[in-house]
Amino acid sequence: MACVVGCALGVASCRKKDGRLTVGVAFETLQTEYWVASFDIMHAELERNNIRMLEAISDGDANRQLEQVKSFVARRVDGIIVAPKDAHTVIPMIKAANRAGIPIVIYNRPPAPTKAVSVTIGTDNFGITKNTVEHMCTLARQSPAPAGKKHEALLVMGDLGDINAIGRRDGFDKATADCSDVLEVVSRVPSEWNQEKALAGVTNALQAHPNISFMFTSSDFLLPSIMSALKAAGKWEKAGHANHVILGAFDGDATAYEMLRAGYLDADGVQDAYFQSKLTVQAILDMRAGKPVANVKLDPGLVVNQSNLGTEASRMWGAAVAKQKAEKPQS
Amino acid sequence: MSNGSTLIGSTSTPAAPVVVAAARGARWQRWLRGDTWVLALAVVYFLALLPVAPDLANPENLQLILSNMLPLLVVALGQMFVLITSGIDLSVTSTIALTSVAGAGTMVWPALGLTGTAAMLAGAVAMLLIAGAVGATNGLAITRLSMPPFMVTLATMMFFSGGAIWATRSNGIPGLPEALATVSQEGFGFVPYALMLVAPFVVGAHVLLTKSVFGRRLFAVGRNAKAARVSGVPVARTVFTAYVLCAAFAAVGAFLYTGRLETGSPVLGQRIFLDVIGAAVIGGVSLFGGKGSVAGVIYGVLFITLVDNSLNILGFSSFAVLMAKGTVILLAALFDAMRARKVAVRA
Repeated sequence: MACVVGCALGVASCRKKDGRLTVGVAFETLQTEYWVASFDIMHAELERNNIRMLEAISDGDANRQLEQVKSFVARRVDGIIVAPKDAHTVIPMIKAANRAGIPIVIYNRPPAPTKAVSVTIGTDNFGITKNTVEHMCTLARQSPAPAGKKHEALLVMGDLGDINAIGRRDGFDKATADCSDVLEVVSRVPSEWNQEKALAGVTNALQAHPNISFMFTSSDFLLPSIMSALKAAGKWEKAGHANHVILGAFDGDATAYEMLRAGYLDADGVQDAYFQSKLTVQAILDMRAGKPVANVKLDPGLVVNQSNLGTEASRMWGAAVAKQKAEKPQS
Repeated sequence: MSNGSTLIGSTSTPAAPVVVAAARGARWQRWLRGDTWVLALAVVYFLALLPVAPDLANPENLQLILSNMLPLLVVALGQMFVLITSGIDLSVTSTIALTSVAGAGTMVWPALGLTGTAAMLAGAVAMLLIAGAVGATNGLAITRLSMPPFMVTLATMMFFSGGAIWATRSNGIPGLPEALATVSQEGFGFVPYALMLVAPFVVGAHVLLTKSVFGRRLFAVGRNAKAARVSGVPVARTVFTAYVLCAAFAAVGAFLYTGRLETGSPVLGQRIFLDVIGAAVIGGVSLFGGKGSVAGVIYGVLFITLVDNSLNILGFSSFAVLMAKGTVILLAALFDAMRARKVAVRA
């Protein structure tokens, strides 16, 4: 009876009796759509492989996440997946898993260099951002700034303590350097992954540089802040309008999908959450089977823009989320 | 004969059950007013969950609970000193963050050229010095400028938290000495080394509270500061010392948290305030001042750590854990308020 109740509640100690593997999944946050979608997709992927998932969300607290991972170790799970807060605090978690001989996969944020052994499933932040901004540069060339001037560009950066944010900034810098003949970066807004800071920063930048006509945000979840700031400045217009700001973003969430469809967003660098979840679960299974697994596997992602939205939307996880949202009121 | 016995007992027998019942009632009330019921509650909670969460009793899990308790315990003990004076230190989490980056920065500061244990000790000294300065700032503002503790520590919380982030530009400080990780994470058999570090602070806090003049003054100030002043208690000095002790204990907690993560973090401990206050209040430290004990805080920390650990094992999401802990703390605060009302009525 206890086992029935325990299993119903997801208690790991019953795993051996029903023969299913148990994997502990510790996410640092479910703050944004990307993390929520990744968490759900991971759950579905584990279920598809007949693996039970134990969940732990640390709500931005690295120490709590360490305790959660150690709790997984104490319960002798068969594998651990961690989406960590940052590159350094994850290292003791990897060491704890290594000591117990439990395979550990780090999701989306690679650890700092360490002797501890793990597999990282990440995103090619640099490459995806570079490709996205290059597409935006093509659009900038097609619609030159007035009076023969260059487009004035703004970058909304993430938390530069986050290696993903650094990769995206570097991708932006590389692409904009390559098209410096048509644009000049006049402002960089540090958002620290905070919507209020992004709104304040973009509003201030638009006041200081009213001719900004090219904007890239390091995450889709900051798009509502950017929309507010652009509306206030009278620049929230669809592609083709004289006041339209060439707008690009990163992630592939539902807001970005809707903005692409509506014509306000020009390009979105998409992390393929389905592909990453598949790689993550496969890495756990391969490590358990003793197969060689590369230390880092990167999702090359894709760029979804106005011209390929019809064909590539199915690979954009935000499209599925938007569809679910649209269906919910009817059900 | 039977009559005789009835006669003999006529004066005592009917009253005896009443006396026994009254004595039992008084004992029950004393037990409830004490700290042991929290320990009993923790044991009952543990045993009740064992059938559905057998992993709770897994030796590795028990060791995990013990090691999770230690940093929280030392921080909660520091807060206890302040709560007994009927104050509160909201800045304790920023003290943890600030001392974490100051200590870690000292440990890896190339100009000092220190490595290993020496670097760790230098970092520990820096942490205590910074914590002392934070505590003194709070204490001086409250005692010399007569500012409310809530406002002072809210302001210093924002100031020092911002300072830690500004100084590190949001970045963690890695590359700390291996000795720090060893002290914070490893142990001798079942006993974590961290316990040996925390134990003197626990014993010291107990001695201070129960055997020293300072302890008696602390309770006197918390019960009635005006009466304590009239009786010759140096109220300002006592309150000032409580805030310095609170910050110093927070630095010890920060030392352990930093060692566990092997990183000095400017956002370390930002979300543990609920646990700190919760553990103290569950352990019988009164939010109205004048009441508290080290044993109670130990039991409170044990209970809150157990709730956290067990709900994680049962697969509850962290949001459900937060709700459960919030409910437990609210009930403890309610119990404290009822107790305080009772005392006020008697007085």
